[in-house]
Amino acid sequence: MAAVSETKKTVAELGEKYKYGFVTDIEMERAPKGLNEDVVRFISAKKGEPDWMLQWRLGAYRRWREMTEPTWARVHYPKIDYEDAYYYAAPKTTAKPKGLDEVDPKLLETYKKLGIPLHEQKLLAGVAVDAVFDSVSVATTFKAKLEEAGVIFCPISEAIREHGDLVRKYLGSVVPVTDNFFATLNSAVFSDGTFVYVPKGVRCPMELSTYFRINASETGQFERTLIIADEGSYVSYLEGCTAPKRDEHQLHAAVVELIALEGAEIKYSTVQNWYPGDEEGKGGIYNFVTKRGDCRGARSKISWTQVETGSAITWKYPSCILRGEGSVGEFYSIAITNHFQQADTGTKMIHLGKNTRSRIISKGISAGKAQNTYRGLVSVHPKAANARNYTQCDSLLIGRECGAHTVPYIEARNKTARVEHEATTSKIAEDQLFYCTSRGIPQEEAVALIVNGFCREVLQQLPMEFAVEAQKLVGISLEGSVA
Amino acid sequence: MNAIVLPNRRIEDWKYSDLRNAVDESAVAAAPTAAWTMASVEGAADIADLPAIMPRGEHGAMAELAIAAAKAGPYVRVAKGERAAVHLHLVEGGHGRALIVVEDGASLVLRETVRAADFANIAVEIVIGKGARLDHVRHAPQHDTVQLADYAVQVADGGQYCAQLMNFGSKLARTELHVVLEGEHAEAVIGGAAVLSGTRHSDVTIHVDHAVGNSKSRQSFRYVAGGHSRAIYQGKVTVRQRADGSDSMQTAKGILLGERAEIDLKPELEILADDVKCAHGAAVGDLDADSLFYLRSRGVPESEARSLLIRAFLEDAVTGIEDEKIRSEIWSAVEAALPAAMEPAP
Repeated sequence: MAAVSETKKTVAELGEKYKYGFVTDIEMERAPKGLNEDVVRFISAKKGEPDWMLQWRLGAYRRWREMTEPTWARVHYPKIDYEDAYYYAAPKTTAKPKGLDEVDPKLLETYKKLGIPLHEQKLLAGVAVDAVFDSVSVATTFKAKLEEAGVIFCPISEAIREHGDLVRKYLGSVVPVTDNFFATLNSAVFSDGTFVYVPKGVRCPMELSTYFRINASETGQFERTLIIADEGSYVSYLEGCTAPKRDEHQLHAAVVELIALEGAEIKYSTVQNWYPGDEEGKGGIYNFVTKRGDCRGARSKISWTQVETGSAITWKYPSCILRGEGSVGEFYSIAITNHFQQADTGTKMIHLGKNTRSRIISKGISAGKAQNTYRGLVSVHPKAANARNYTQCDSLLIGRECGAHTVPYIEARNKTARVEHEATTSKIAEDQLFYCTSRGIPQEEAVALIVNGFCREVLQQLPMEFAVEAQKLVGISLEGSVA
Repeated sequence: MNAIVLPNRRIEDWKYSDLRNAVDESAVAAAPTAAWTMASVEGAADIADLPAIMPRGEHGAMAELAIAAAKAGPYVRVAKGERAAVHLHLVEGGHGRALIVVEDGASLVLRETVRAADFANIAVEIVIGKGARLDHVRHAPQHDTVQLADYAVQVADGGQYCAQLMNFGSKLARTELHVVLEGEHAEAVIGGAAVLSGTRHSDVTIHVDHAVGNSKSRQSFRYVAGGHSRAIYQGKVTVRQRADGSDSMQTAKGILLGERAEIDLKPELEILADDVKCAHGAAVGDLDADSLFYLRSRGVPESEARSLLIRAFLEDAVTGIEDEKIRSEIWSAVEAALPAAMEPAP
């Protein structure tokens, strides 16, 4: 209840404006506009990468040139001109900051507006933040504590330089360079991202968190995230995204790869509230992301939780390859679309090993003139004896002009497998609304309350830090959806 | 005709039925006009031969070819308020087309059987008038060729379309149904079963389009796949904008009996109105372990218990057939196909 009242207050304060719609005026260093081999070389050189990495990027670039943009998703947007964008932008810095004091105060202010109190992080304990500002990681906290546990948590550019063997062994092993149009583009031009390695038997002492932020106008952000949980380890990773308000569309094509070895567990949570465009559908982020986890070892577990409220277009299918015997994959998702937003999101659970289990809970909420699609695949291969899957996907429609679509695929090729899928589509019932309003709860607050109830199963999966923010976001995102 | 590109797995809608691998383009191009006989006609049905039809409904890619290539085809019409029962029997394969019109307030029981063992590609246009009713039972026996059948069905206000699709598989068998509920209180109740063995394939692809509100659709399919067979259900329900009060339900369930068998289910929803009631459920699994245990604990041998449970599972799919004679015939076909489907894979 408190959260709902607070939402109401926040919405009032915002005055229908996107909270994070500001631009930080920092001199940017950019690669020349357009995409060619020289730009790829430029990015690689800027990052001081070894030759193998450059060759890897060039291979991806050449392959990308031969690929065509996928059109199967239920999203519509004007053709993207890949030559009319900058592929690298970084705040101009001469030397690497050694501490927070050396970080550009303007950057710090940006974070403050975003609600990431970097200074306080140290005291608040529990969350280490590796904040990515456009393409270069600027500050990392809690490094020492993590180092003590043997956990590597650093920008991927640094990992390429300092942990080359690890990166080389795992990079592209879950999402191959040739996987899909956007992943291949990312492989060629990714600028930075996060690298996490949790050694054998280590339970990561804190929840790892990275805030991404697209800042410079007309730059796509291409992050690359690689998380490796070695045998018997555990890590929980939080990803949050906000981007400033802008009229032109911006492309975001990230790749996230997770690898869980024997007995390891990775929990990956995302709250995505990038700029969704205005009420007329102008502007907003194109979020075309490839996320995939590989349960490589026996009894490993990968769990995806996502709250998608932002972006003009979302094209995202966090998936699990359940290779190890007895491995577990989970996908919990809330996707909220309002105004002219379009989301085509879901998951793939690929059961390869014996006794593998997966669970999919998806909640789609569509309001205004938005289109919301769940697209998912559960595939049981012939060797996946006793595989189990349970899928539930519910859609909620608010308004007469929005759409909610469900496209589940079930492919079963083992007779001992059990796959179950259920889906419902409904609207907010008049009597539910009436019940709330008759008790003095304003209509808008009542909607937020009901929607939060509808999403409860997923919200419960989020770590505390995110759960509160996510609940507020649900309310903010649906602002103006009821007349 | 020489430039046909056959639907293949690269085309999303044909992902599970790769026609290019099952039949030669030249064979498709050279196929003759299919031939039907009227095995029986009861009541007031007008039967004529149509030299050409102008398709009005939504058809699949292969059906368009059938309509263009077939040189003749039957036209069955039941006049206003009349009742009739017709048994259409496909005796020769090839490209075929037919037109079925059930005028306002009329009713027709349409039974369809297939003898033709060669390549068949038929397109049927069905028009159901206001308050009219069509009971459609299609029985596709085991074959080893490519068998394609495509139906475009339009249902007016208060009209009812009840279809029962029984498939026993072929080298590649695909039944496509495109139903448009064009009037209020129009209803589509579609069900069926597939019992497959060997390397047989059966694909049922359905699109029910709620064009206006207060219409209702029900779909229920039961699959049993043995040996190396493959059973497919792709069902899509569309509720168009402003089609408020639409009510739809889809269920598809499958039991895999063969080590190498495969069941693919894709129940799809496309909802563009908010005041709707739409749900779907799909499940693939083995027989319920508790039920098996219950029967065995009462002294029923395992093989018998399994066969009992499978029969119970399939029986649900045929209860929708109202005509008792047709129902018992279909059930005998199910009984006849079951032993092969339950055989352990070689």
